[in-house]
Amino acid sequence: MNNNETLLKVEDLKVWFEIRKSVVSQPMYVKAVDGISFDLKKGESISLVGESGSGKTTLGRTLLRLYKATGGKIFFEEQDITNLDSTDLKWYRKETGFVQQDPFGALPSHFTIYRTLEEPLIINKIGTPEERKNLIFNALEEVKLTPVIDFIQKYPHMLSGGQMQRVVIARALIMRPKLVIADEPVSMLDASVRIEILELLKELQERHQMSLIYITHDLATVRAFSNWIFIMYAGNLVEKAQTKELLQNPLHPYTKALLSAIPDPDPENRKKLRDIPPGEPPNLVELPQGCRFHPRCANVMDICKKEEPKDIEVKNNHWVKCWLFQEG
Amino acid sequence: METLLKLNKFTISYKTQKGTLEAATDVSFELKEGETLAVVGESGCGKSSLAKGIMRLFPRNIEKVLGEIYVDGEEVLSIKEDEFRKKIRWSKISMVFQGAMNSLNPVLKVVYQVAEPLIVHLNMDKTSAYNRAKEILNLVGISESFAERYPFELSGGMKQRVIIAMALITNPKIVILDEPTSALDVITQANIMNLLKILKKELNLSYIFITHDIATTSELADKIAVMYAGELVEISPAEIFYTNPAHGYTMMLLDSVPTLKTDKKLKSIPGSPPSLISPPQGCRFHPRCQYVMDICKEKEPPIFQKGENHYAKCYLGESHE
Repeated sequence: MNNNETLLKVEDLKVWFEIRKSVVSQPMYVKAVDGISFDLKKGESISLVGESGSGKTTLGRTLLRLYKATGGKIFFEEQDITNLDSTDLKWYRKETGFVQQDPFGALPSHFTIYRTLEEPLIINKIGTPEERKNLIFNALEEVKLTPVIDFIQKYPHMLSGGQMQRVVIARALIMRPKLVIADEPVSMLDASVRIEILELLKELQERHQMSLIYITHDLATVRAFSNWIFIMYAGNLVEKAQTKELLQNPLHPYTKALLSAIPDPDPENRKKLRDIPPGEPPNLVELPQGCRFHPRCANVMDICKKEEPKDIEVKNNHWVKCWLFQEG
Repeated sequence: METLLKLNKFTISYKTQKGTLEAATDVSFELKEGETLAVVGESGCGKSSLAKGIMRLFPRNIEKVLGEIYVDGEEVLSIKEDEFRKKIRWSKISMVFQGAMNSLNPVLKVVYQVAEPLIVHLNMDKTSAYNRAKEILNLVGISESFAERYPFELSGGMKQRVIIAMALITNPKIVILDEPTSALDVITQANIMNLLKILKKELNLSYIFITHDIATTSELADKIAVMYAGELVEISPAEIFYTNPAHGYTMMLLDSVPTLKTDKKLKSIPGSPPSLISPPQGCRFHPRCQYVMDICKEKEPPIFQKGENHYAKCYLGESHE
């Protein structure tokens, strides 16, 4: 397989949700995703980092075509999938896997683990019952739920949170998708289990050469996890760079704030206050003019309040959406 | 510094269908004036039970409560409920409950919800109670215009500030914080931590800070207690905790904390915490411990003193026959 091939190409993607105060009033829009572009190569992984309400879940779900885009284009292996309807999308469902945030809600409570994993195989008419059994056993072994025979007849409520999330991962990967989107896969789990689940996900991604988009609000977990980090703020990607570069050399004031908000365990921390921008992300209905971060930004200039900055490639493979780095 | 709160062999057990569950076993510690104690542990280790137990808020299926709790030198676990409610709960010890920001009453203005205890319990008249509530809200960073609003008009961080204001309105000396930032975003979390630091200094508060996140403990804690399967397994000053842990569990827990600035190989702890109905023999952590020795499987370790103000329930580094 050619590893430099682009799997997913997103161009100026917009997802707006309409809200009306009453039937006759003017519609208003929640601009959850507003003008996002990026490429994802085969076998690569991206961490999409942002606060809640920044639109990262909406972006993930739109890429899976669970939501329909309002504008822009999504190309999967050079095919435009932006506006395909559900019957034409069946092949795309096979190529994508979804690891949900909440394993407690993601598994049907009345299905055994075996039935849960068999479901996608039945829908896609794969194999004989015997072959399906092999696939299911393999899938569970891969996520280290062994001995498999002890688990297949269990129901979700009989499993711990970590075990449930393993089943969710097994289900997402059983069709060998080319693209997996993991939306906060460990935020509901205990700290001691998190690392285990993330490493499992990374291992499987590398073994099967899948592309992965890992959505999270926790920058501390991405360090050892993905090739790229994208920082999302109020519906925009404000900074994109490779993981090491972004962590060592953050440019956007928002990225810097995110990084400084994360404590490393150090007893000196308690003696000083953290230097953190005040306030919270803007309402996505009435976005601030100009740069969306300007009301909270310490480096704000006049132009930030008037005009929206463009995506600038400051150096090779490092993009930032900030006036501090643009000329003119 | 004066000792404000002292727990001696505090034990709570619940009745369940499967038998007696000991949520906290022989927990002892002291909290001094102006000090912050962090209690860390995985979910189900009994840290929330401990917090509610100190407030004497027990669920209906409580079986027995043993041990002693001293507040300002006075034993309060054995006094009558009525007396405890009048003298201790909220007036001396208050609490920020986990996820409480989602339990604000949606149809009442926040200023009323903050002022309510003054009106209902202390018979204060409405105007002065409102004024006091606005003062406290101002202190936690909520301006007067927001005080007159309803919970749905506030963001998550502001709601959490309201909850903190509620815990402070009765002028307590000790505030128990049960996962005060767990549902918030990183930047909001850091802002709330800053607020807690400022409040502590201005009002000379003592905190008991309950969390599963080791990295955030360093933001507040003067000393740290680690809980595992209902027991306090290690307690040490913050200066020692991160660099010189003594208990096998603490060491493995610290190895599993992802950090941003240093490159280290993360390790997870295999297995899951034991059932509290029938905990393992010997040291409760031995089935998951990478430093396990023979004695750990047989004999429950006593509490060893490992250094100044540093105690751990672990045989590591101790001579034994």
